[in-house]
Amino acid sequence: MSRSPSVGANGHGVQAEDTRICVVMVGLPARGKSLIAQKVVRYLRWLSVPAKTFNVGNYRRLDTPQPTAAFFDTSNKQGEKLRHAAAEAAVNDMIKYFNNKAGLVAVLDATNSTKVRRKWVRERCDQANISTLFVESKCDDEDLIMSNIMEVKTTSPDYKGQDPESAAKDFRNRIRNYERVYQTIEEEEDLTFVKIIDVGSQVVINHIKDHLQSRVVYYVMSLHIKPRSIWLSRHGESVYNLTGRIGGDSNLSHRGEAYAKALPGLVAASVPQDAHIQIWTSTLKRTIATARWLASSKKQYTTLEWKALDELDAGLCDGLTYGQIKDRFPEDFASRDADKYNYRYTGGESYRDVVIRLEPIIMELERSENVLIVTHQAVLRCIYAYYMNVPQERSPWMEVPLHTLIKLTPRAYSTEEQRFTANIPAVSTYREKGGEAKHQTAEDEVGLGELEIRDIQANEEEEAAEKMSSFDEEVEEVIEKANNEAAHGAIKPAIVRVSTHDGHVDGDNISIVIP
Amino acid sequence: MEDSTADVAAASPRFRRKSSTFIDAIHDMPEKVEMAPAQLYSTESGRLFHAGKIAIATVGLPARGKTHISVALTRYLRWLGVKTRAFHLGDYRRATLPAGQEVPEDYFFLDASASTVLLRQKILRKCREDIYQFFERENGQVAIYDAVNPLAAGRRSLANELAKHDIQTLFIESACHDQRIIEDNVRRVKISSPDEYAGWDAADAIKHYLARINAKIPHFETMEEKELDWIRVCPKQRLMLTLLTAIKMINAGDKFEINNRNFGYLARRIVFYLMNLQIKQRRAYFVRAGLSASNTYMSDDGLSDIGIDYARKMTETLIKHREQEHKQEIQNEEQEREQRSLVIWTSTKKRTIETASFLQDAGYPVRQRSQMVALNPGVCERMTERRIREKYPEEILKHEADPYHHRYPRAESYHDVAVRMEPVILELEREGNDLLIIAHESVLRVLYGYLMACKATDIPKLSFPRDEIIEIVPESYSNRSIRIPIPGLPNDTIPSSPEDIRIPVPPSGTLTPINIGEAFSGNATPLLSGSGSPRRNASPNQDSDHRGEGSMLLVDRALRKSGYLPQNKET
Repeated sequence: MSRSPSVGANGHGVQAEDTRICVVMVGLPARGKSLIAQKVVRYLRWLSVPAKTFNVGNYRRLDTPQPTAAFFDTSNKQGEKLRHAAAEAAVNDMIKYFNNKAGLVAVLDATNSTKVRRKWVRERCDQANISTLFVESKCDDEDLIMSNIMEVKTTSPDYKGQDPESAAKDFRNRIRNYERVYQTIEEEEDLTFVKIIDVGSQVVINHIKDHLQSRVVYYVMSLHIKPRSIWLSRHGESVYNLTGRIGGDSNLSHRGEAYAKALPGLVAASVPQDAHIQIWTSTLKRTIATARWLASSKKQYTTLEWKALDELDAGLCDGLTYGQIKDRFPEDFASRDADKYNYRYTGGESYRDVVIRLEPIIMELERSENVLIVTHQAVLRCIYAYYMNVPQERSPWMEVPLHTLIKLTPRAYSTEEQRFTANIPAVSTYREKGGEAKHQTAEDEVGLGELEIRDIQANEEEEAAEKMSSFDEEVEEVIEKANNEAAHGAIKPAIVRVSTHDGHVDGDNISIVIP
Repeated sequence: MEDSTADVAAASPRFRRKSSTFIDAIHDMPEKVEMAPAQLYSTESGRLFHAGKIAIATVGLPARGKTHISVALTRYLRWLGVKTRAFHLGDYRRATLPAGQEVPEDYFFLDASASTVLLRQKILRKCREDIYQFFERENGQVAIYDAVNPLAAGRRSLANELAKHDIQTLFIESACHDQRIIEDNVRRVKISSPDEYAGWDAADAIKHYLARINAKIPHFETMEEKELDWIRVCPKQRLMLTLLTAIKMINAGDKFEINNRNFGYLARRIVFYLMNLQIKQRRAYFVRAGLSASNTYMSDDGLSDIGIDYARKMTETLIKHREQEHKQEIQNEEQEREQRSLVIWTSTKKRTIETASFLQDAGYPVRQRSQMVALNPGVCERMTERRIREKYPEEILKHEADPYHHRYPRAESYHDVAVRMEPVILELEREGNDLLIIAHESVLRVLYGYLMACKATDIPKLSFPRDEIIEIVPESYSNRSIRIPIPGLPNDTIPSSPEDIRIPVPPSGTLTPINIGEAFSGNATPLLSGSGSPRRNASPNQDSDHRGEGSMLLVDRALRKSGYLPQNKET
C-alpha cells in the first residue's frame, strides 16, 4: 500500500515524526564508513523510516572519475576546489531531499576529516533545520585497514579496470594525504556524535538529541566489519507442506528428512574448512529436525533456538490450506493479496509484525560472525529483505523454494548471494499474487516426472505421511544421488546475485543473475 | 522515601511484599510468571534474547544518580519482559545496622579496621546471596547491583566472583563532573528526609553532606579497566530553548564512554535506553479526549459541543493546578524558580487534537504522534456487547482468560499497543518538559502501566474517568500518581467510555490505576452496555461508604494521612 510513509505520518515502525537527521560520516578512507552509511540506510528502510545516502565520492566522480592520490593532496588547489564542489553538490541535493519531504534521514558519506569541514556541514544543516549526528569510525588496526583496502581496490569505481597492485598503492597514498590533515572529533566541537574506536571495542557517544538519533547509534554500535557469511534455509519439507496446510508444528516428511541429511554436505560445499558456525533455528520441530544432522556434523558448530524465528502466526488460519482459507474467509484472502505486508491474520501476525519481532535477531546477526539460520518462509523473506534491500511491497511475495540453501556475504559495497539447491524434490509452497488458492502437489514438481506419484492429498498428516513413505522409497534413489553429489563437492551455486546495500536503485535492476 | 519497603525486603529476603498501593510497583517482584507489557516472546528459562544472566553493577559516588539509573533501567527492562531486580546495597546497610546507627567512619576506607571489614563483608554477603537466589531460584535475568563500587580491585574481584556463577557483569559508572547537578541531586534525594537535616539551611545541608561523602569515601577510581565491560555515563546540564522559556535539562546520559568486550543485545539495548534517559522533575499528566459525534475508532470526528466544553474545563483545571503546584514548589524549595514548560502530545485523531485546542490557543506547543492512536477494535467496532457475545463466544472466553494479550478478530491487543508505543516511551523518557498526554483510554493505560510498573494483567482494567486529570510525579526511587478532579462537568461526559470496545471485563477484582488493596472495585472502564458511570456503579460487595466517591479521593486521603501528599492538595 503505502510505499514510504510520509513525513509526520509514519504510522508504523519506529517513531520519526518531525525529526530530520543528517548522519555525517567521519573518518579516514578504508575505515568502513561507506559500509556503515549504507547499512544504516538499509536498516532504517527495513523499519519503514525513509532514508538515503549521499556519497560525496559519487558527486566527485562526475567530474573526476578516476583521480590519483595527488588529487587528494591538500596542497593541490585544483583538487581541493573540486572536492569542495562535490561536497557542496551533495549537501545541496540532501537539503532538497529533505525539503521535498522525501525522507527523514540522510547519510552524508564522505571523510569530513577536518574540524572546518564538519563545522561547515553542521552550519548548512542548522540553517535548513536539519539536526546532525556525526558518526566517526576510528581504527588503527592494520589488518582491518588492509582488508578494507583490498576490498576497495577491487570494488571501488575509482579503480575500475586498473591493476590491483598499483590501485592499492595509490589508495594507500590517498589515505596518507588524508592522514596529514585528519582531526578526530573532540568534545569542544560541541557536536552530537558517536565515535566508534577499533570497530566498537570502545565507543564514545556525545549529546544525543532525539530518539531517532539514539536508534541510529544503537544500530551502529552493533556493526562489525569482519568478513563473514550468513546462510539461510527453510526447514525441510514438512508433513503440512505435503498437504498444503500452513502453520502448525508438524514433523518433516521423508523428503524433508533427506534434506536434513543432505544439509551438512551443502554447507560444506560453501564454508571454509574449520570455520565456526552458529546454527540458529526456530523453536518449532521442523527447523530443529532440519538442523540436527548439521549440528552434529562438526564440533565447531553450535546451535541456538530462537522463539523470534518461529513462523508468522496465521492465527485462526493456522493449520488450514489456502483453499480452505479462501472458502472460510474469502474477504481475508482477498485483503491479504491486496496488502500482504500489512495484512494481519485474525488472531495472528502480519509481515510487519514479524519484522518488529525480528529486530533483536537482526541486531544479533550484525554482531555475530558466521551464522546459519534454519527458519520458515515468511521469516526468511523478512531477513532476506533486510540483507538484499527488497522493498516492502515485494518482500512478502518473494519465492524461496524448499531444499535450497542461500548464502549471503556482506561486502563493503554490496551483499553477494549464492544459492545451493539440494536436488531433493519438494512441493512448492509458493503462491504468486492473485494466484489460485490451489495447493501444488508433488505431481507438479519438476524433477519427479519419471517417478510414479501417488495421491498425497490427504487431510490428516499421519495419513499423508503413511502414503508418502511408500512414495519415498522411490525417491530414495534421487536423494542418494543428491547426497553423493554433496559428499563429492559437486554442488555448485545455482544463482549468484549481487545487491548493493543502498536500495534506492530498484533491487531487480541492479541484480546480476548468472545462471 | 528510601527507607521504605526495600529495607523490609533486605532484612528478610524471603518476605515478598504485596502489590504496592500509592507508589509504583517497580520494587515489587511479580509473584507468578506472566508476560510483561512489551514482551515479544517467552522462553522456558524465562530469560530473553539469549542474553544469559547479567549483573549490572553501578559505579559512582553518592548523589551521582546511580539509584535513578538503576530504577529507570529496572522499569524499562521489565517492560521488555526481562526479569530484572535492583539490589540497593544502601538498603542492606541500613537493614543490617541497628536502627539509627551510621556505618563506621572507615567503612569505605582502604585500610579499614577489622571490625569494619567484617561488617562490610556481612552486608555484602547478604546482598550477594539475594542476587544468587534471584538468579538461581527465581529465574532472574538481570540483577542491578546498586552500590558505590569505588575501587578497581573490588570491581575486578566482583566480576570474577560473578563469572564463577556464570553471570556476566556490566558496570555502569555514573560520572558527574557538574557541581550544579550534584548539588541538585543532594537537594532532591539526599537531604529531603526530614529527620536528618531538619531545621538546616538547604545550602549548608548540601555542603555538609558533600563534605561528609568526601571524608567517608576518600578513594574513588574511575573506570579504566580494559578487561571489563563498562559504560561511563556523564550527565550534563544543558540549556534548552523551548517555545515559552529556556529550561535547563539534565541528560542522564549526555556523554557515554563504552568499553566493549562482549556486549550482547541486552547491553546495547541498555545503552540505547540510557541515551534517552533524563534526570528530571517533570510531571506527566494524562487526560482522555473529549467526546465526539460518533465516537468510533474508524471515523475521525471532531469534538461535539459536550466535548468542547470538556476541553475548556480540562484546560482551566490543568492550568490552575499547575500554578498551584508551582507556588507549592517555590514554598518547599524556598527559592524563586520559573514554572516548567508544558508540551502536549496527542494522537493523530481529530478529537484528541481538538481537545488540546484551548491549550494550543494559550500558546502551549502540541505534537501529534501517530503511535498514540487508540487500540484498534477490529470487528468489534460498533458492535454491542451482546452482539459480540453471540457472534464470538470463543473469543469472549479467550479474552476473559487473557485480556492483555488477546486480540479480537482484526483487532489489536494491549500487547500490540505496548509494542508499537515503545518509541513513545523512550521519547517520554527523553522529554524534559512537563507533558500532557491526550489520548484514548487504551493508550493511557499502556503508558501509565509503564510509568507505574503495572502488571500486564492489570493494564486493561485501569480506569481513566473523563472528569479527572491524572498526574504522575517522578521521584528517583519510585513514581507517584495523583488525580485532579475536573469540576463542573455534565454527567454525560463522565459516564462510560463510549470509545471503548465494549469488551466484557470481569467485574470483580478490577483496579483503578492506583489501587489500595481491594478497598474498591467495579471500576473496569469497558462498561457493560447500559450501565452508568463507572465510578458511580459500585459493585454490591463494595463498602457503601466508598460509593460515589472517586477512587483517587480515597487514595488522596490515605496519602495525606500518611504524609505523602501535602495537606493543601485540592480535592
